[in-house]
Amino acid sequence: MEASEVSIELYVLLSAILFIMGTMGVLLRRNAILIFMSVELMLNAANLALAAFARQWGNGDGHVMVFFVMTVAAAEVAVGLALIVAIFRTKKSIDIDDLHLFRG
Amino acid sequence: MELWLFIIIGAVAIIAAAMMLISENAIYSALFLILNFACIAFFFLMLNAAFVAMVQIAVYAGAIMVLFLFVIMLLGAERVLPEAQPRFRWLTPAAIILALVFLAVSTLAIIKGEIDLTRPKLEEPMVRAVHAVDGVPAVDVYLDGEQVARDVAFGEASSFESWATGRYDAQIFPAGADPEADDPLAEYPVNLVPGVTLSLAAIGNAQEPELVAVTEDLSQVDDKDALRVVAINALHGRTAIDVVDDTDSGSRRALVENVPYGKASDVIEIEEDTYDIGVYPAGSSRTRLMGIEDEDLEAGTAVLWIFTEQRQDDNSYTSTIVNLETDARPPFGSPAHVGQLLFSRYVLPFELVSLLLLVAMIGAIVLTHERLAPRRRFERRLANVPAGLEQSLPGETGD
Repeated sequence: MEASEVSIELYVLLSAILFIMGTMGVLLRRNAILIFMSVELMLNAANLALAAFARQWGNGDGHVMVFFVMTVAAAEVAVGLALIVAIFRTKKSIDIDDLHLFRG
Repeated sequence: MELWLFIIIGAVAIIAAAMMLISENAIYSALFLILNFACIAFFFLMLNAAFVAMVQIAVYAGAIMVLFLFVIMLLGAERVLPEAQPRFRWLTPAAIILALVFLAVSTLAIIKGEIDLTRPKLEEPMVRAVHAVDGVPAVDVYLDGEQVARDVAFGEASSFESWATGRYDAQIFPAGADPEADDPLAEYPVNLVPGVTLSLAAIGNAQEPELVAVTEDLSQVDDKDALRVVAINALHGRTAIDVVDDTDSGSRRALVENVPYGKASDVIEIEEDTYDIGVYPAGSSRTRLMGIEDEDLEAGTAVLWIFTEQRQDDNSYTSTIVNLETDARPPFGSPAHVGQLLFSRYVLPFELVSLLLLVAMIGAIVLTHERLAPRRRFERRLANVPAGLEQSLPGETGD
């Protein structure tokens, strides 16, 4: 494999930036679906770092890990969206600030 | 060029992520997220991860985001109505400060951290056994008492096994022998270094067996119409041999020259074609010792020829060619490469993940399943019974 012009540091830095943006989304947004999308963004940032390191070490294990992360993300989306639908039925809202069953 | 591409696509990815975060409408957020995923798929391509890039587009940007958009539209939940007072007012500045601190720390770690990222790690050494000892039906091969292959029949090879780096004594036993008690047929010291692919070929006859270690090159050939060939001389007469391309009798050319007994030739690259291969004593082109006719050699393979002889019942020798063809390793990051890893080293995790998906499916059904109120019997009006008469019908006593 020929050396790439773009060093791995840049990929990891980009991955870190995207990950932080995802974290901000989880912390700051109140729409439950948007929070889920932010989690997807974080998973993708991690995938990018995995693929970058796989290239760096010339080892295919990173690609398999990316594949697994995608599978887990698919499972998580299925369950998460089902939860959102179930909550929406009872609360008529997906604003997470409304989702407090206990008063306090 | 590549750097500029990285900067442009990286900027698009970051802007798409930012737009996703600040969009009021969840539909726009989902569309910006798809754009971000497409950028990341592009990065996967730049990182030689072709298969992952494909899956990223098909599964992530396709299937998962369709599910998101579907749920958003189903619930009609594009916007969350702005509330007068967010419940945690301190959360916004706290999150921004934490994010900046994390970004600063990770940037510092990535740029200033003295992590050795330049050392390329080679694959583990691989080893296999090839049996070409005349007069022994099958053999077991051991490295320092650990079994590499068992019951390898004559003319066959075991599959490649990953092995720990180090120096070993390769030993060959008749099939079923006990490595602790019995004497090996032959021994040979081997040195397994990372990245090497070794074939341990057992040659000779039952009285004088020998082990030859051949380093094979299973990486992809640069020329995609070419393949790699190695020849081992195991001829009983112990003469050095030339291996000659006899396809066109007008222009014969030697593929490898002067291979002494018990040695392997250099690895040569030849074009894909149908060949007639002849074996001659070194330097002579008159007495053809043996040959392979009409041999189809396919590109992207590694071929190992062992030219040997088998003793017959009447003490004559017939020439035998052990012809072993191995597929070259698929290129890094290709679907074949990831597939091989998934079905070799990662079978168990793969099954676990499949199980997880199954559980998620059942979970989604259970979570969204609406418990229907049990239907009350006889609640329905019978259309053809005049009002007021229902009570008098037999058997309809309610509840």
